[in-house]
Amino acid sequence: MNSTKVGPRTVVTLIIVGVLLIVGGFLISQATPLIFPVEASAEARQIDQLFRIALLIGGAIFLLVQGLLAYSVWRFRARAGDLSDGPNIHGNTTLEIVWTAIPAVIVVVLTVLSYSVWTSIQSVKPDEQAVEVQGARFNWAFTYSTPDPRDSSKTLSFKSTELHTYIGRPVRLEMRTQDVIHSFWVPAMRIKQDVIPGRVTEYRFTPVEAAGETYPARYPIQCAELCGAEHGNMIAWVVVHQTEDDYTAWFNQEVDKVLNPPADPVVRGEGILASQVYPCHTCHVLNTETLQWAGNVGPALNGVGDRAAGPRSTATGLSAADYLYQSIHEPNAYLAPGFGPLMPQLNIPECETRSIVAYLCTLTSSGQPACTVELPPECGAGAPPEATPEATAEGTPESSFDPSAPPSGEGASNPTPEATAPAADVTAEATAAP
Amino acid sequence: MASISVPVGGVPTQAAPRPRLRASDFLRWSVDHKIIGVQYMVTSFVFFLVGGTLAMLIRWELLTPNLDLVQTGSQYNSLFSVHGLVMIFLWIIPMFAGFGNYLVPLMLGAKDMAFPWLNAFAFWLIPPAGILMLGSMLVGAPEAGWTQYPPLSTLFSGDGQTLAALAVHLLGISSILGAINFIVTIKNMRPAGMSYWQMPLFVWAILATSIIVVMATPFLAGGLTLLILDRIAGTTFFDANRGGDVLLWQNVFWFYSHPAVYIMVLPGMGVLSDVLTTHSRKPIFGYKMVALSSLAIALVGFTVWAHHMFTSLQPALRIPFMITSMIIAVPTGIKIFSWLGTIWGGKIRFTSAMLFSLGFLSMFVIGGITGVMLAMIPFNLHVHDTYFVVSHLHFVLFGGSVFAIYSGIYHWFPKITGRMLNERLGRWHFVLTYLGFFFTFFPMHFIGMLGMPRRVAVYLPEFQGLNTIASISSFVLGLSTFLLVINVIISLRNGRIAGANPWRSLTLEWATTSPPPATNFIGDPVMFPDPYGYGMPEAAAYLESIDRQFGAPARPPVTDKPAPGVTVVESGD
Amino acid sequence: MQGELSERPLTPQELLDLKNKRTGLAIFQFTWILVFVCLMFVHWWIRGQSPVWPPEGVAKHGVLVPTIMTLALVASSFSARHANHAMKADDRDTFFRHWRIMIGLGALFVLVMAVEWLLVPVSGQYSNLFRVLVGFHGVHALAIGAFLLRVYRNARAGAYSARHFWPVEAAAGLWYFVTVAWILFYVVLYWS
Repeated sequence: MNSTKVGPRTVVTLIIVGVLLIVGGFLISQATPLIFPVEASAEARQIDQLFRIALLIGGAIFLLVQGLLAYSVWRFRARAGDLSDGPNIHGNTTLEIVWTAIPAVIVVVLTVLSYSVWTSIQSVKPDEQAVEVQGARFNWAFTYSTPDPRDSSKTLSFKSTELHTYIGRPVRLEMRTQDVIHSFWVPAMRIKQDVIPGRVTEYRFTPVEAAGETYPARYPIQCAELCGAEHGNMIAWVVVHQTEDDYTAWFNQEVDKVLNPPADPVVRGEGILASQVYPCHTCHVLNTETLQWAGNVGPALNGVGDRAAGPRSTATGLSAADYLYQSIHEPNAYLAPGFGPLMPQLNIPECETRSIVAYLCTLTSSGQPACTVELPPECGAGAPPEATPEATAEGTPESSFDPSAPPSGEGASNPTPEATAPAADVTAEATAAP
Repeated sequence: MASISVPVGGVPTQAAPRPRLRASDFLRWSVDHKIIGVQYMVTSFVFFLVGGTLAMLIRWELLTPNLDLVQTGSQYNSLFSVHGLVMIFLWIIPMFAGFGNYLVPLMLGAKDMAFPWLNAFAFWLIPPAGILMLGSMLVGAPEAGWTQYPPLSTLFSGDGQTLAALAVHLLGISSILGAINFIVTIKNMRPAGMSYWQMPLFVWAILATSIIVVMATPFLAGGLTLLILDRIAGTTFFDANRGGDVLLWQNVFWFYSHPAVYIMVLPGMGVLSDVLTTHSRKPIFGYKMVALSSLAIALVGFTVWAHHMFTSLQPALRIPFMITSMIIAVPTGIKIFSWLGTIWGGKIRFTSAMLFSLGFLSMFVIGGITGVMLAMIPFNLHVHDTYFVVSHLHFVLFGGSVFAIYSGIYHWFPKITGRMLNERLGRWHFVLTYLGFFFTFFPMHFIGMLGMPRRVAVYLPEFQGLNTIASISSFVLGLSTFLLVINVIISLRNGRIAGANPWRSLTLEWATTSPPPATNFIGDPVMFPDPYGYGMPEAAAYLESIDRQFGAPARPPVTDKPAPGVTVVESGD
Repeated sequence: MQGELSERPLTPQELLDLKNKRTGLAIFQFTWILVFVCLMFVHWWIRGQSPVWPPEGVAKHGVLVPTIMTLALVASSFSARHANHAMKADDRDTFFRHWRIMIGLGALFVLVMAVEWLLVPVSGQYSNLFRVLVGFHGVHALAIGAFLLRVYRNARAGAYSARHFWPVEAAAGLWYFVTVAWILFYVVLYWS
């Protein structure tokens, strides 16, 4: 135990043990492919590399401590009948300095490495694809914006429940929440960022080609911050296309859906609900031929047309259509008996709200719609995009993000204006909800 | 310390009154610190069983990827919320308060704590708080986790959330009153001749813990007051839509709750220092470093809170918290290596108390390593709020604190009751706990890294294999607890008579009868100058005089042969 | 110094008890003042959420009345100190005079701040913070004020002397605590 008596034998033993520990730590660190999901982003590669170093060091310390423990337990066990004490040794200053200094050096190294990786993964990348993310109990929605092909002074945006991107294109997410704190986590990308009420948070990643992957590849997005009953089901998907062309094809298809919605508001409303860009399905029950919702937070929607025309209309003094409209736009103005004020203001644009009302009116026992909704002409095919109430209401505080800016400087990833309807059909439309 | 003269002798008191304790003594108000200590321990153990039952239900639910045991996600959320709250605030913290209450006055040779009445009052806050906490499950159970993040806990939770917050508030006040009592007792009531540097390390640990409690708990009290007001009085401190901020809660909460981790671990480290020395018959290696590292952990612990918020904190603020979180690994490392230095070269007795302390060393180091990994921001971004964190915190709080509690129970049960626990059952208890614990929580590292978030009742099917291993092991772990319960019940009646000092320990709590009389000591206790003076020639004479004065054990309790299979367990991981 | 003199007849055990109580009270004052510090921190955090403070269109709290009340509270603390010392010197007349002044000024403070609390116009976070901070302090002032009254009643019955003065010292110590806590809030609410 005394540092003055370190002989050659001790030195050799220490060297052998040290080498064994490093080799052991290295072997442990090679287990990482088994304990990580695929490395689907540039950030994942950096973080995994950092973790391998940490695991090498941690593994060596693990082996050292468990080894010393096992060796001591075997070597220094009291023999049968031995009631004597051990040696009266109170410490060894050299040794104590060593085992203070070595951990200190290790944490300094890990801190420096972590710092450099972290600055790298959070740095602004050139040519980032900007996508807006809305977290709501209990789903994710992604809003893509592009200059309106019919009127380039306006912005056309559409929502998707999947986050589409392609290999090599840095993505920057602007994230907001409708209600509680959520956390956006793509295990395959390794990064996580909370989505916080009253704030806009950012998340960056750059998809890379993963070994052995077939494209388009789909990676789960998990909510990682407890957000309520269906927290575990709050899963969406990142779709990584192999090439920019594949991505553009998808993008144009979505733009086309926006430009040419179904003429019948009932069909259109059903389509909106079925797309699940709004989180209705996570809280309501609805069983139809096309929709199978099993939420258990809000009232069931089967037969909601009957109730809207009957008891609810009596209770609120509103017509069935107005009642349903109010239920969507001011969900807490009137609460269905037995339910609390849990539904958020989802900021659904006017035309979409009306279409949803039209569809809900058809949910009656008789099959006869409880109301009929006429969409104003500006909601029709080829109409210009609607500014969402959210965008108009929240434009000022989050000025750092400009949804009207084109997603990229090159514009190559966006659909070209020529591909879509002529700009002549554009007419202005009232935006805010009444 | 070369030449010390130990006053040996005293009157051999075969007639030393060994108090007979009745169960009813523990059911009513008492200001005797020993009775209060036992009241703390038994009460918190009952809550441990409650919290453990909730944990079993959680693991049962997680056997399959879908909802099966519970009907809704809400029910699952309330299971783990109450599990966390109960285990932290009603089990580990009050359990160590119980150890402290029983042992600190004895270790200091004092008759009682500084404020006996306050001591009893602090304890009697716990049962109503516990009832409030469990009652919260009946009126809209808390569903926001033990962290109670708003707005989930304010705008989206049932009334149970208010009751749970109130319960935690009461427990916080109880813990502040207890800590004031400890600090005053330790500062003012040490016997003449015992400097701070001669206190047993358990007392050092309680001192450091109490300093944390009085500095951190007020912030919990303030935060909970505002949370309750937000819920019942219409204020909007945590409502972002009305001028509040949800991150305010996170900062205030973690400013208490990170130090609270050390409130839960430091006393366990104190237990370890006493148990390892006694059962390996060797002085603590580097007394001052071990004592000072407790203080260092206590103080640095106040600067690391935001590492729980790496995914919500403003990016620029994350770096300083990474640095402090890394720094705190150094004093923790000092402790671990000091303990290894302590057993190195000793004469290790494989008593159950020793086994659990060795188990602590073996398991806690894993929690320490993953703690450093979690402090690395880039890696934290991946595993934050996943099962990796669940695993890490259980390695610290179960592999650390609970192993230390078990160790302390086997070590001090003879002093408290006058009877030994059954060592064979104890060894079984250790083996099952060690294996059950390891295989419950070690796979969770992988579950988390592979992509399963924490606090979910449903998960992607690919995680089922590892979850099944964890669940089945957890049932073993749960059942192993009953070996201790059975052991205590049997030994209370039929255990071997312990004598004053069955482990031949040199700290003062052993220099009196077991259990100690109402005044703790007969006459002035005689202190051995070095609480860890094992191997000193004077120690044998001192220990012999204790046996002569206060009663020798029925027969030497030290195991005749080393426990078989122990090295197998150690190499099992 | 007078206190030290009159302590001399105390037994070692009584001296130890007294030392314990003094240490305990000091730690309690320290730990519980931290709750007030926590609320100060909350105040700064919340006002940081708003671009201007007080928020647009909200009138600032008047400063004159609270300042006078703060002075009254500080004065009452000095009375507490005098009363405490008088009791240790067995000067009961001085004790009662100062104890009454302290209670009178304290009651005035509590009453006026209660009126302020009731009259503050509701204005979101600005009035919320005011009410919570002043209310939180007021609850402490009321509880400790009740203790002061009880000590007064017991003192009238002759319960305390230069040999048995701890309740008086404790009450005075708690009243200092109320004063210091208020000064913290006063600075935060009116001068920051």
